[in-house]
Amino acid sequence: MPYWGADDAVAELRRALSNRHAQADRLRYRNVLLRVIRRMTQGVDVSGVFMEMVKASATGDIVQKKLVYLYMCTYASRQPDLALLAINTLCKDCSDPNPMVRGLALRSMCSLRMPGIQEYIQQPVLNGLRDKASYVRRVAVLGCAKMQKLQGDTEVDGVLVNELYSLLRDQDPIVVVNCLRALEEILRREGGVVINKPIAHHLLKRMSDLDQWGQSEVLAFLLRYKPRSEEELFNILSLLDGSLKSSSPSVVMAATKLFLVLAKDFPQVQTDVLVRVKGPLLAACTSESRELCFAALCHVRQILGSLPGHFSSHYKKFFCSYSEPHYIKCQKMEVLCELVNDENVQQVLEELKSYCTDVSAELAQGAIFAIGSIARTYTEQCVGILTALLGLKQEHITSAVVQAFRDLVWLCPQCTEAVCQALPSCEEAMQDSEGKQALIWLLGVHGERVPNAPYVLEDFVEHVRSETFPAVKMELLTALVRLFMFRPAECQDILGRLLYYCIEEETDMVVRDRGLFYYRLLQAGVEEAKRVLCSPKSDPSLGLLEDQAEQPVNKWASEFNTLVPVYGKACWAVVTANWAMEPRCGGFPCAAPMTAGTESLISEGNKEVLQVHSNSAGLTLIPKAHLTAEQFEKTWLSLDMNYQQALPWHGAAHPDTIQTALQVVHIQTIAMSKAGAQPWKAYLSAQDESGCLFLTELLLETENSEMQVSVKQSEERTEALQHFISVLRTVMGTVLGLKS
Amino acid sequence: MIGGLFIYNHKGEVLISRVYRDDIGRNAVDAFRVNVIHARQQVRSPVTNIARTSFFHVKRSNIWLAAVTKQNVNAAMVFEFLYKMCDVMTAYFGKISEENIKNNFVLIYELLDEILDFGYPQNSETGALKTFITQQGIKSQTKEEQSQITSQVTGQIGWRREGIKYRRNELFLDVLESVNLLMSPQGQVLSAHVSGRVVMKSYLSGMPECKFGMNDKIVIEKQGKGTADETGKSGKQSIAIDDCTFHQCVRLSKFDSERSISFIPPDGEFELMRYRTTKDIILPFRVIPLVREVGRTKLEVKVVIKSNFKPSLLAQKIEVRQNPMWFCALE
Repeated sequence: MPYWGADDAVAELRRALSNRHAQADRLRYRNVLLRVIRRMTQGVDVSGVFMEMVKASATGDIVQKKLVYLYMCTYASRQPDLALLAINTLCKDCSDPNPMVRGLALRSMCSLRMPGIQEYIQQPVLNGLRDKASYVRRVAVLGCAKMQKLQGDTEVDGVLVNELYSLLRDQDPIVVVNCLRALEEILRREGGVVINKPIAHHLLKRMSDLDQWGQSEVLAFLLRYKPRSEEELFNILSLLDGSLKSSSPSVVMAATKLFLVLAKDFPQVQTDVLVRVKGPLLAACTSESRELCFAALCHVRQILGSLPGHFSSHYKKFFCSYSEPHYIKCQKMEVLCELVNDENVQQVLEELKSYCTDVSAELAQGAIFAIGSIARTYTEQCVGILTALLGLKQEHITSAVVQAFRDLVWLCPQCTEAVCQALPSCEEAMQDSEGKQALIWLLGVHGERVPNAPYVLEDFVEHVRSETFPAVKMELLTALVRLFMFRPAECQDILGRLLYYCIEEETDMVVRDRGLFYYRLLQAGVEEAKRVLCSPKSDPSLGLLEDQAEQPVNKWASEFNTLVPVYGKACWAVVTANWAMEPRCGGFPCAAPMTAGTESLISEGNKEVLQVHSNSAGLTLIPKAHLTAEQFEKTWLSLDMNYQQALPWHGAAHPDTIQTALQVVHIQTIAMSKAGAQPWKAYLSAQDESGCLFLTELLLETENSEMQVSVKQSEERTEALQHFISVLRTVMGTVLGLKS
Repeated sequence: MIGGLFIYNHKGEVLISRVYRDDIGRNAVDAFRVNVIHARQQVRSPVTNIARTSFFHVKRSNIWLAAVTKQNVNAAMVFEFLYKMCDVMTAYFGKISEENIKNNFVLIYELLDEILDFGYPQNSETGALKTFITQQGIKSQTKEEQSQITSQVTGQIGWRREGIKYRRNELFLDVLESVNLLMSPQGQVLSAHVSGRVVMKSYLSGMPECKFGMNDKIVIEKQGKGTADETGKSGKQSIAIDDCTFHQCVRLSKFDSERSISFIPPDGEFELMRYRTTKDIILPFRVIPLVREVGRTKLEVKVVIKSNFKPSLLAQKIEVRQNPMWFCALE
């Protein structure tokens, strides 16, 4: 942050620090130091007084030392030469009789973050590991991790690692946990700390000594351990039983995750565990700590994805209360949508209905959409409620209701009649783009059943000049052309005017092009236009893609208690996909004035995290990889071909079979031709754990009786590519085998 | 792990900034200010992702606390840590306010230095922290005190140090209950639960073994097992506790087998137990709101509050708050 008068401030501080009188008076001197730190906190660059601060470090006063060390840790990387001067004092402090001073000096020395410091800290750290005070040992253990981080690529010191492994038996619980943390960071390349049987059981034994942070981290580390036998597994589970009752929600969540992952072959045990944590989770959901409540609600939603009836009898716990913040209300509404069943639907709808008239427009719209999504199962009741809401003639409500109708009509065609009856007179209270689009779409597609549809659209055409959203104009064009097919007499004149406007007066290129397109289409003859516009209606069974069947617990067990349920799967996939794909792009919601170049958006650390669990020998495709068609296209065009081969094939392709088969091995289908198309094509994408993308094109020309496979890879890694191809070949072979 | 911890005032000025890991840069401080504190709309989520960095934030009166990380951490733990941080600060200097934070600037930096190292939570027990971070930090430690710290830190019991002596041994126990009630506009109770805390203040010498008992009326439900028959047997008088959790110091094994709560308490104030009941809750008050529309611009609101206590019991400090906001409802 540029700060006015920063130079003056630094000069003034330097004067004050070197003032003899101030140095003599300890309190006064410390006040000056305080001012330096305060400036540092505000973001002023006070690295200019480094020299003076080094001098101040030679003192017996611990608080003063702490201030100076804090300063040094911040600025050492900018003044490496001067920082070396401070090392002497720090080294001396490392052998101070007071363990506090020893620990402080060691911690600060390890945090200096400057090149060439390793040689100075190595010895003190090793001494610290054998210190008799556990306070110093705690610091020294983490110091090892810091040291490794400073060294970067150099090889891991085997002796140090062994020393750390042996310190896992330390009597101080925090030292034990710190050891795990340090080993995890040091051995990141090799896949992190190894938890073998003795270590696992040792940790289980120490569990009760640890504090809540330690417990929840150790539970996470224990995920690595694979029990040898069923007996051992259940032994572990019964040892950990207490953790499920912990007073700290984070320990409960971590324990739940461990149970779910360990018992992955015993669905009954998993269900039992989820029943047991119901109480603690509900308590967290209704607790006064809003943020914790939010996190718990996110996890409740995750559980509901697999066990829809799990919280149904507790639905009242998820009713919003007036004073709750917006984000909790939104989460609760989502939960309500998911736990609705025959018994509680009446009460839940009643409750949601009362949110629809909330003062906050956003919340009201959210409630309307929630009712809209419940309508997929309980259509009649919901459509009734939504229709009644239209009577309020409130802009934001009407808009949301019409949008909910649009989505509903597509998924539940049986309610079309009711919706069409409700539509007239909506247009008066409609201002926003989304609502208008929805209304126009509905009128276009189902206009033949709404008596005044052409006149409503005419109204829109009248005001098209003052319309600000191009998307609305596009929707209007499509709707009117479609309606023209069914009710030509009423629409001809309006359509003519609209087309004239779009082609002659419209400045937006996209709208103009669309206008021209329809004009030419109509020129080609009504029959031809009808064939294009009124193609068979979309298959209602597609709706099943929307509300997926219950996911098995194992699908998300590994993501439980991470940020994935909090951000939502899709959003998290975007974050991680960008990590891997476009390392230096600032596209993701980042309105922050990041000064370019000061911080690369992906640090080495993040890449490493992605690689932690990677299976070095084979190739593991991650199931959560999600790529939109646009991203795919962009990436596809920017990459070179890595591999091309023709596989034997006979007969036509069956898209459904292929898609399902690919899904099993976590290859995602981006786009695919219909069955029997000539030539038949498909585009696939997959991502492995290191973030490497595999983009594939399948091309089938029946006369050749060959399937042309082309693969592009986002990072050049031959080994992974070979693995991927063999996976793909196996799948295709299996599909072919099924057919014949 | 936590990459950095920042404290802001309501204007977005940084009061405290402590960075633990290299991957968090100075610009993270500004990013949070611009995207969350200065954002026009209300807070969307307590976890905000800005440029692949996650900000976990908590607001206490006018103060924002934000923990920053680039890793896939577990949200519950970070929030719990922030709450703990607030508790520790409150234990040191009272209410968390801008003035208090500015005045205890050094202390907070000292605390942050001890509680987190390299982004990993370390010792966060207030009792233990108070032995080596004192408010008048200038005093240098005597030999005896030094050895005390060493023994405290190496002791088997993390929450209590050895050699505590009081001239007068005292123990205070508070049971704090809050009734959480959700009522429909028609006055129908939608859901109600009582969450209670047993808070203890102990000033006892040595390593005292304490026992805490509850009377027979209380039935603590064995988690995961049916309660219907259990409560049925013990008759109407019983009070069923849905779930209860204890402080680390309580021996859970003894609780499971003998239903007795035995423990060696930490020194000073701590929360011994937390519980929740949902069944047969007798509400302390009944609130009957009556809203009548008198004219287009006039509303008549009548709120009747009736207490369900015996006439012999006196209540103090009763406050009734009503929010005029909801009158701008529709129609």
